[in-house]
Amino acid sequence: MSNATVHQVVINKDRIRAMLSQAMETHCVTAPASNGKVIDYLPVTDIEAIVMDDRLPYKSPKEFFFPRCEKILSFAQDGAKQTAPEQPVLLFGVKPCDLAAIAVLERVFTMGKFQDPIFMAHRGHTLIIGTACEQKKTACFCDDLAVDMQYSDACDLFLGNSGEDYEVLYVSERGKEQLGIYLPELANFENADHLPKTPPESLSLSEKETVLFEKVNWEALTETCQGCGLCTYICPTCHCFDFKDVEENGTACRYRNWDSCMFPQFTLHASGHNPRDTKAERYRQRVLHKYAYVPKNFGVIACTGCGRCIRSCPTGVSIRQVVEAVRGELK
Amino acid sequence: MIFAKQTEEIRACCEKILAEQRVDVILAYQDGGPDGAMIPFFARSAQDVEKIVWGDRCWQHLASYLHGRRDRVGIVAKPCDVRAIVQYILEQQVARDQVYIIGVDCAGMVDQYGDSRPGCGDCSVHTPPLWDTHIADEAIVEIQVPPTRACEDLAYNLEKFQREIDKCILCYSCRQACYGCYCKTCFVQRDLTDWQPAEIDTGTKMTFHLGRAMHLAGRCIECGSCEAACASGVNIRYIIKEVTNFIADTYDYRTGMDLTTTPAMVSYGANDRDIGFLGGEDH
Repeated sequence: MSNATVHQVVINKDRIRAMLSQAMETHCVTAPASNGKVIDYLPVTDIEAIVMDDRLPYKSPKEFFFPRCEKILSFAQDGAKQTAPEQPVLLFGVKPCDLAAIAVLERVFTMGKFQDPIFMAHRGHTLIIGTACEQKKTACFCDDLAVDMQYSDACDLFLGNSGEDYEVLYVSERGKEQLGIYLPELANFENADHLPKTPPESLSLSEKETVLFEKVNWEALTETCQGCGLCTYICPTCHCFDFKDVEENGTACRYRNWDSCMFPQFTLHASGHNPRDTKAERYRQRVLHKYAYVPKNFGVIACTGCGRCIRSCPTGVSIRQVVEAVRGELK
Repeated sequence: MIFAKQTEEIRACCEKILAEQRVDVILAYQDGGPDGAMIPFFARSAQDVEKIVWGDRCWQHLASYLHGRRDRVGIVAKPCDVRAIVQYILEQQVARDQVYIIGVDCAGMVDQYGDSRPGCGDCSVHTPPLWDTHIADEAIVEIQVPPTRACEDLAYNLEKFQREIDKCILCYSCRQACYGCYCKTCFVQRDLTDWQPAEIDTGTKMTFHLGRAMHLAGRCIECGSCEAACASGVNIRYIIKEVTNFIADTYDYRTGMDLTTTPAMVSYGANDRDIGFLGGEDH
């Protein structure tokens, strides 16, 4: 094989299947698959179960880095032990919006004042293969947030669709190293320069918090919200959590579980006081966390326009319409 | 088209009760949801009334918005909404004179593919059991109380139940979406007695779902909101359906059908079957 760099590598889908099949020996291969009712990112052992079409899984892939429930620590009289993930994960078929969301989580968990070793361990254990998104689904609005449907470098290998083949659009150093075992042609692939998507995001909130709090009629905007919290659980970037310490066979264990800002208990103080007592205040928090606080603290909007919360909302509340309405009210 | 006619009738009624100041707000539906779904809408003026629509995509449950409200509310209510309202009135959560029921005949709601929404496929109540104004659909032939399926074998049930809740991530969306789950602090969130351990496993999930099913004994109105809100496609109605069937078998009671029958779980009769108390066979 020559060592000349190439800019185009095309791989048949069957070879990708064969690669995933081989990888199952060492990795927990996780890919879009049906749970009997909806498509989800699921650990698969049968290669035929992997859904390779354009459908976006119902839930986001965040649970592979930030699990729904995780024992993170145990401590007894002989000291504390941190638990660490064991089997490496190969996450396949992640769409650009979800890749952008993983990048948001990375910023929040690893690039701020505190680094989260558990998150970093999961991220370090996971190889991610992204695939391009061909068509917008109902309620998708990635355009408004400058997420490119056809390209992402927030992964180890990014594949564009071309009929029965995949075209390699990006491969990371780590991808070359670890996926090159199965796909030797990746070794010579050189990433093309990729300009950031234009126009930049059009959906953002830049006003001061006091203005956003006081000048916006949040009650009217959130009147139909039922407060079910579904949006926070299926959102690829929502990352609030709660700790619970319990005793298990003489050892104290600390669990980290997802929590939701849409529930009144989320901010309930021991005194009984609740600073976010109403639905409007809670929904405001969800919107501002994504569109004001994370941008301020980590430099990126924590919404990637995947549209999950809009499609799934039992009462048709749309975060896009709410943000647009807020922008309209503040004009 | 029947929906256009029903929409006209609903609007006329809404306009009237708003003009007569009988209500402060009307809970209804408007266009604008994803994939052509209709979404909840709070109408307060004659202009708002123009936006009210009715169709076979009005699947959201409006009755749960009534809980905790103090104003006078008009509500465009499907039969399942009305059953929830009846139950709220019986449980003294809503006053009868606080709510003006525009009861609409409903043949069942569908999703964007024309498939029945959760709860609609096996619904047997197509005409509201209580109303102040009735928006009829002559095409609907009211199906009388269907023969309830006998309860499944326990071992079979347990296995099926565990298979279903394997998918559950315990997000509690079903509870939040349920009209009947209005406890200020859910039993699983109490600190004393701590019902839920920290780890989310099958046992934790069973505690929640079985506990919730017990709390909904004789209260579930089979609207399907729990399943519609589920993040993982769990057939939640299935387990509650078993409890509902048991109540129907044991006490000949159906939830939310009228304002005069005392709910099964708050009445005691000397002739009540023992199985309802002890889980054992009748003597």
